[in-house]
Amino acid sequence: MARMKFLCDADRCIECNACVTACKNENEVPWGINRRRVVTINDGKPGERSISMACMHCTDAPCAAVCPVSCFYTTADAVVLHSKDLCIGCGYCFYACPFGAPQYPKVGNFGSRGKMDKCTFCAGGPEADGSQAEFVKYGANRLAEGKLPLCAEMCSTKSLLAGDGDIIAQIYKERVVKRGYGSGAWGWKTAYKETIAS
Amino acid sequence: MLIKRTERQARRASLAGALSSQSGGALDRRTFLRRSGLAAGALATVGALPLVTMRKAEAGPPAAAGAQVTIRKNICTHCSVGCTVIGEVSNGVWIGQEPAWDSPINRGSHCAKGASVRELVHGDRRLRYPMKLVNGQWTRVSWDVAINEIGDKLGEIRAKSGQESVYWLGSAKFSNEGAYLYRKFAAFWGTNNVDHQARICHSTTVAGVANTWGYGAQTNSYNDIRNSKTMIIMGGNPAEAHPVSLQHLLEGKEMQKANFIVIDPRLTRTAAHATEYVRIRPGTDIPVMWGLLWHVFKNGWEDKEFIRQRVYGMEDAKKEIEKWTPEEVERVTGVPGAQLERVAKMFATEKPATLIWCMGATQHTVGTANVRAFCIALLATGNVGGVGVGANIFRGHCNVQGATDLGLDIGTLPLYYGLAEGAWRHWSRVWEVDYSYLEGRFETPKNMGIPGIPSTRWFDATLLPKDQVSQKDTIKAMMVFGHGGNTVTRMPEAAKGIEALELLVVADPHPTTWAALSERKNGTYLLPICTQFECSGSRTASNRSIQWGEQIVKPVFESKNDYEVMYLLARKLGLAEQMFKNIKVENNVPVAEDILREINRGGFSTGYCGQSPERLKVHMANQKDFDLVSLRAADGPAKGDYYGLPWPCWGTPEIKHPGTHQLYNTHLHVKDGGGTFRARFGVERVIKTKVMENGVEVEKEEKHNMLAEGSYSLGSEIRDGYPEFTYAVLQKLGWDKDLTAPELATIQKIGGNNPGAVSWAIDLSGGIQRVCLEHGVIHYGNGKARANAFGLPDAIPVHREPIYTPRMDLVAKYPTLPSRREFRLPNIGFDIQKANVENKVGEKFPIILTSGRLVEYEGGGEETRSNKWLAELQQDSFIEINPADASARGITDGNWVWVDGPLGAKARVKALVTERVGRGVAWMPFHFSGWFQGVDQRDKYPKGADPIVLGESVNTLTTYGYDPVTGMQEPKATLCQIRAA
Amino acid sequence: MAGFISHARLIIGALALMFVFAAAGPAAAQQPSSVNPTAQAVSEDQLLNALQNRGGTISGRVTIPDQQSATLIQPAGQDWRSFHERTLKWIGGISVIGMIVLLIAFYLFRGMVKIERGRSGRTVVRFNAFERFVHWMTAACFIILAISGLNITFGKSLLLPLMGPEAFTGWSQWLKYAHNYLSFPFTIGVVLICLIWIAGNIPNKTDVEWLKRGGGIVGEDHPPAYRFNAGQKMIYWIVVIGGAAVAITGYLLMFPFYGTGVAGMQLSSTIHAIVGVLFVAAMLGHIYIGTLGMEGAFEAMGTGTVDENWAKQHHRLWLEEEAARVGPNDSEAQARARAAATPAE
Repeated sequence: MARMKFLCDADRCIECNACVTACKNENEVPWGINRRRVVTINDGKPGERSISMACMHCTDAPCAAVCPVSCFYTTADAVVLHSKDLCIGCGYCFYACPFGAPQYPKVGNFGSRGKMDKCTFCAGGPEADGSQAEFVKYGANRLAEGKLPLCAEMCSTKSLLAGDGDIIAQIYKERVVKRGYGSGAWGWKTAYKETIAS
Repeated sequence: MLIKRTERQARRASLAGALSSQSGGALDRRTFLRRSGLAAGALATVGALPLVTMRKAEAGPPAAAGAQVTIRKNICTHCSVGCTVIGEVSNGVWIGQEPAWDSPINRGSHCAKGASVRELVHGDRRLRYPMKLVNGQWTRVSWDVAINEIGDKLGEIRAKSGQESVYWLGSAKFSNEGAYLYRKFAAFWGTNNVDHQARICHSTTVAGVANTWGYGAQTNSYNDIRNSKTMIIMGGNPAEAHPVSLQHLLEGKEMQKANFIVIDPRLTRTAAHATEYVRIRPGTDIPVMWGLLWHVFKNGWEDKEFIRQRVYGMEDAKKEIEKWTPEEVERVTGVPGAQLERVAKMFATEKPATLIWCMGATQHTVGTANVRAFCIALLATGNVGGVGVGANIFRGHCNVQGATDLGLDIGTLPLYYGLAEGAWRHWSRVWEVDYSYLEGRFETPKNMGIPGIPSTRWFDATLLPKDQVSQKDTIKAMMVFGHGGNTVTRMPEAAKGIEALELLVVADPHPTTWAALSERKNGTYLLPICTQFECSGSRTASNRSIQWGEQIVKPVFESKNDYEVMYLLARKLGLAEQMFKNIKVENNVPVAEDILREINRGGFSTGYCGQSPERLKVHMANQKDFDLVSLRAADGPAKGDYYGLPWPCWGTPEIKHPGTHQLYNTHLHVKDGGGTFRARFGVERVIKTKVMENGVEVEKEEKHNMLAEGSYSLGSEIRDGYPEFTYAVLQKLGWDKDLTAPELATIQKIGGNNPGAVSWAIDLSGGIQRVCLEHGVIHYGNGKARANAFGLPDAIPVHREPIYTPRMDLVAKYPTLPSRREFRLPNIGFDIQKANVENKVGEKFPIILTSGRLVEYEGGGEETRSNKWLAELQQDSFIEINPADASARGITDGNWVWVDGPLGAKARVKALVTERVGRGVAWMPFHFSGWFQGVDQRDKYPKGADPIVLGESVNTLTTYGYDPVTGMQEPKATLCQIRAA
Repeated sequence: MAGFISHARLIIGALALMFVFAAAGPAAAQQPSSVNPTAQAVSEDQLLNALQNRGGTISGRVTIPDQQSATLIQPAGQDWRSFHERTLKWIGGISVIGMIVLLIAFYLFRGMVKIERGRSGRTVVRFNAFERFVHWMTAACFIILAISGLNITFGKSLLLPLMGPEAFTGWSQWLKYAHNYLSFPFTIGVVLICLIWIAGNIPNKTDVEWLKRGGGIVGEDHPPAYRFNAGQKMIYWIVVIGGAAVAITGYLLMFPFYGTGVAGMQLSSTIHAIVGVLFVAAMLGHIYIGTLGMEGAFEAMGTGTVDENWAKQHHRLWLEEEAARVGPNDSEAQARARAAATPAE
């Protein structure tokens, strides 16, 4: 079984934000919810690097571990999804998530959290694949159509890779060997407890 | 809860079974590589894998059950890279975008703008119906009323002030067909006051490059940069302005282990990936380039053979270069000599090397000279006319190259024919109208040959006293089709200019700044134009590839496409019958294919003659056949063609010229897209000098050969330089026998009494071109490129300080050009520079203000700031300030500040304190408007059509300064002061 | 044990709050003659090493207004997780179950503390109606807050398997609303408790004596006390300080990102949870003493009056004070005092 992962090659990322708007486009994510974002480290300095970040679909996901209502589940492709029907908007997953992935729409009560929303690896949610209900709650289900997340598919410089972890690790490794530099598979240590040796 | 998960697995399993090419729900490596666009080399050649690109009907946003989902291909409208956009349409609604894996240009990729174009079409901030300003209130009117009233008012102005008082401002977002039609419209109206955004982005490039080697365009392509071993990006930030180009640049950098050098005042997102970053003071490009060449010549790194064979006047350039010692360069530009020497060595010796530039080089009072200096650097190092080399000029808008080519310009008819009588006669033959009819449309026949007023100065031509504007009357009406109102410098004056107009017509998907900037109360019309996604037509990418976009959905709301609006106006003005003689009009909509065919029939000068709509559509349908690096189709129905038939694509479509990937490439046969430098500047240059000989003044004549020496394109039958071809030249060579009878008849018909004078450019049969290609020669001649571009104000570029410079000590040595009249207007730059030094403006306003692009927005930004997916990413206009300058002023990151311009204008923006900019330099993005000097103008937009994000425009602060060759403005080097708000 | 260590690390990290990673090398005054951004690129390893065991985050710049999203990686999330999933469960389990076990054992061993001389039949006003109202409002809120709080910590292990996910979510969702809304009356209650009883709860010498004698819990000793003995004072201060702690941290969590970032929220949540479970444990003890543990105690908050013998036994000094103020055995004066204290009746 494939183990789906994201990998952002920061030596390719130019903070063009295509991943961000592709995500908005494909999943019709409302204003204020950012399932994916690009963070620039050391902005303006020669060592500057930008990294596109969303839910990394961790191995042994902290969000799932701390969820008080156990609304998370992991698909056969190791994509970490959750049920909005079960989520109570407590915010615990945000405290636990190392990547700031969970997002909460503000709802009436004191501007507090509504049901959590996050990157689904374009794999929808528990509803029937490709159904209207699934789309409204979670966005597109590209995986079910044999496609990969649109953010990675549309990445301007092929910096953001999505897909089988072994394959993208291999691609990244080959790149680093070929060009002779690489600032690391950002987040892999934290999310998957692994590094890509180069 | 997890019961559903098992259901999912069951479904996934059955799905996996259905997709037999894939293994169990997961993607196998090859399919993955294919889908992620990573296939390269061996994998790509193997890859005849079926692609699952069709979205199933029930996919999300799910189409209604059972609804048909169709796939339509168009081209992104946001920059000149030319990314293919794939739209999925169901029931007339654009429901999704998919990656266009097959396009060799973007291979599925997009930037933030491209990935969100769907919202442009369905966005609720679009202008929905025609509107008219009645006593300060926006009022809905019908199309009929709008066209009638506009037509009547135009007639009134024409009668009273003359046809030159109406300014036709067109757009780089037009399709080729739209641009061509608009230029034709202006010609039929009877004025050369027609322009578009190229004026403010790359007009100086076109002038500089064309004056060097023949054609004003990128010589190579984005893809070709993959072959470069050294690339210098100077005055450009493609990571934000042309993000998808970075795919080619960064992959090239990695595959070739290439030197990636960025020379820029800012450490941009592009510079972050450089292997060498050189920080310069804005406005000192020529000293930097001369400083670089100083090392080249000193160390003998120049390409002597190339210069001998193919370059004219390098010795003259060398004399200027020798003045720029490392010490002087560092004094003027701030760049250390050692660094420039290293860069010079890489550029000259680690070849192929390419020079990439954008508006950081062009938007200056010395824009043309900057470009010329860059060209000289390429010529000196032999880095032009081949693979992986060249002037890779990244154009701005999606069709700014095409709109420039098709003559949306004050100085030429379509395809660079110029304004001379021969040009008018050529086009009157193509249009099948009498030359005398066109003469009659102008105020006087002489006016046909007088260049118009540049778009940078329309408001000067509106506000200046009548006697200072060299035409019958000042500008009274602006017809603005697809052009922002905040992209031209000196906005406070533009605001006054708008108020002084009698008629303002804005034809655009959005109201734009034009609608909101001024205090106008009447005489303003907004016409809703659809986007190019709701229209079909071709567009020319920066690399000269022409791509056909098909309509994705029908125009939304009451909007109409450009063609239809032009037709309706032409009909109202009584021009339609003549203008659309050879263009089919269906339901008031001229057919795009027919317009392109007319362009083909007249487009011989620039090689726009071979790209028939049929050929272009074959390319779009078979994108997968084209190679990523060479852009050539190895197979399929377009076998042998370069992608998009990059112009010049010679002869008629029937002879199937493949287009030209690299201009002036002598290593290829002309039938394979090879070529030479264009023999555009004569055969010989005769210089007459008076010298004293034995006490007597005698006139001496020096003759300089302008033709290539011993250099020629592969397989040429003439193995040396040669001039342009005419029928007479063909006759001399005895090649006239190769003409077919119909070709000869056409030539004789055009030539009348003197068929020998019929040149390759006006031969409507394409016969001369065909015969030349058969003989392996190029009909435009085989000349030398000019290091010395005699005829330009600075034949050899010299440094000239910006008009608003903080280095007042340098002005005496490096002053701007003397004040003079040009383009019907006075240019008083010299007087202003002098006054600035006297008034010590550089001390009161010590910070250099420069401007540039953000990846999320484009141009004036009205369209992109109305797109919620983009607007969310940049919600405030800001200014980048160096931490040292900020702390000296008590400014912290994220604070509001006032930026004061030297003319009293001010802007309230957020401070972004960053080391991206050096000390003493501040930078602002140019996409914002809707706030003017601290005042929010949201109320002035028609309700519901205001952009989501408003902010201060940098052009509120930018100042005077115009390039002598093109009238280019100076938004890249002015002065300001900043204080905490 | 690992849980405790990582918890400590979390707190240290949280206290460090926003550790901003500074780039190597200051900006040079003069232009350097070589800048190679490719070679100078930061790497994730560098940044992670810099964070090692020090908390903090890898942060940068984002253009969207949500500055929380500028945090790229916050390893402290893992520590919070381990606190929440292990440490907290141990602390909570030990303190709550431990307290219950302790109380049962104590009850079995000691039984109910009787009024030694039996009821006198004469009563003394101990808490007026307003005091009782405040107490019961706060108590009622606390019980629901406690149940909902314990539910969110232990519910998924204890109740979810019994109720099934949908029902458990419905129940938890309501408890979340209850927890959020009842926090307001609870907070008001804590503030009022603090104000109305502070006079009797300032520690003094008597408390030392009382504590020395173990409060008389074991054996038959009854150290003298004023209105509140040291044990009750402890409850008071637990309520006031604990209540303030859960209220403040709770509101920080309820209004995300107002005034604190994710590190602050992790810290808040940690404090909230620890104080919460200890609070519950303490209140179990309080409830025990007030009901099963001591004869005649409940009526103090029930009817507001206590038997004189009970008062003599447990709060001799207070009773003497009261007697001095209104006179002994003056039932009329007593009635007047009651009426005066509760004009609303």
